[in-house]
Amino acid sequence: MSKKRTTFLLFLALMAGSVWVAQANELSPDASLLIDEGGGNLDEFFVEEEAGDPLESMNRFFFEVNDRLYFWILKPVNTAYTTVVPLDFRQCFGNFFDNIASPIWVVNNLLQGKFAGAGIDLSRFLINSTVGVLGLGDPALQSFGIKPKPEDFGQTLGTWGVGEGPYLCLPLLGPSTLRDSVGFAGDALSHPIAYIDITYLDAVAYYTTNKVNLLSLHPGLYEDMKRYSLDPYISMRQVYLEYRRNKVLDRDGRKNILNEL
Amino acid sequence: MSYDEELSVKMVSRNLKKIKIMKYMYTLLVLVCCFFVVNSSALAVSGPTEQLKPTLKSLVDILLDPSLKGEAHKVERRAKIMGHVTKGFDFREMSQRVVGKEWKDLPQEKQDHFQALFTKLLENAYIGKFENYSGQEIQYTGERLKDDRAIVSTQIENNGQLMPVDYIMTKKEDRWMVYDINIEGVSLVRNYMEQFKSILRRDKFDGLVKLLEEKNSTLE
Repeated sequence: MSKKRTTFLLFLALMAGSVWVAQANELSPDASLLIDEGGGNLDEFFVEEEAGDPLESMNRFFFEVNDRLYFWILKPVNTAYTTVVPLDFRQCFGNFFDNIASPIWVVNNLLQGKFAGAGIDLSRFLINSTVGVLGLGDPALQSFGIKPKPEDFGQTLGTWGVGEGPYLCLPLLGPSTLRDSVGFAGDALSHPIAYIDITYLDAVAYYTTNKVNLLSLHPGLYEDMKRYSLDPYISMRQVYLEYRRNKVLDRDGRKNILNEL
Repeated sequence: MSYDEELSVKMVSRNLKKIKIMKYMYTLLVLVCCFFVVNSSALAVSGPTEQLKPTLKSLVDILLDPSLKGEAHKVERRAKIMGHVTKGFDFREMSQRVVGKEWKDLPQEKQDHFQALFTKLLENAYIGKFENYSGQEIQYTGERLKDDRAIVSTQIENNGQLMPVDYIMTKKEDRWMVYDINIEGVSLVRNYMEQFKSILRRDKFDGLVKLLEEKNSTLE
């Protein structure tokens, strides 16, 4: 019980900190591709914008740590896992993990006022948990063509206007921001498996298996990024921040912008 | 003036008016014709999507060409691809963007050298992604236009998932040229720009060139 209370207090503290940072570190909402990408007028383009990374030296340290861990542990584990478990199974496990997490998506859709999204994710959860045999299959997509609408708590906070705060490279967890770390904690606390009586160790095991499985489905991503960049730390930071900003603004669905025009 | 006379004057003036109107109509017709001629020649300069399509088509054709497949033909294949890609991709503009404000002050030969190095890096990073392409259809999902800039959205299947790839283009002398590629909402040129920013601050332009040369040699 006291453990739970500590986690909750930590969560609150992070939340408060994030709101404070939000005021100090405003995200430009107007990051539309065309406006943002200065183009012909050179002076307009050459305005330098500092990335919000006041903790760069600490982040770089943990980036190095994670990089070592990747090559020493994650990659060999992943290679073994990929050899032992066939692709079909790994895809099924991927579906399973997604399905268990999808009640969180429903909640976050609701919190963002996206009722259609919530309905979609809820019906996906119901279909896949039953017809899809505990979520191992994805008949919702394959037979009914219902695409998932994942939303996490970091996105919810972003939608509510909470700024992203400083960029963080967390040990083991990788790239994040203060806001997304709070989001991660929130999602972890509201994750369905948190309501089953399990130990912290079980939770970590669950998380790790999920990540290893995910990596096995997208091999070579990290190494490619490293191979083609001159400064992998900055490259990863940029990819993360841009990806998350697009998610918060719902730019991932390109069709949305096109329909707005 | 007799009534007859009055009538004939009226008739003449009415005829004159008619002739005037006819003249107006005629001028208008000529103008309209001119407009259509001009407009159709403007239509001949096609939109960004139409100009991007042949570039990507030739890229795809070369990647699927069985006589160019495999590691043995990599150099030849890449050379052919780049021959087509450089017609539709503006590597000058990209180089200028990633270097930033210092670009203007660089002598021509330094600019050219940098452009060659950066083009090589992008060739590896971008075309490398398509290297194991096996004939998936490129879907053109939309086009946004604003003045002389445009975004052409495409989708391509990758590992069973649809990967959105957007081409950011600018119009240069009636030709639409790609100056950035956005994969899953993440900009390729922007990413390098951010990396180069801190390198330029620390090692200056010559340091960046050296790093690029080293990087390219590891990618050979």
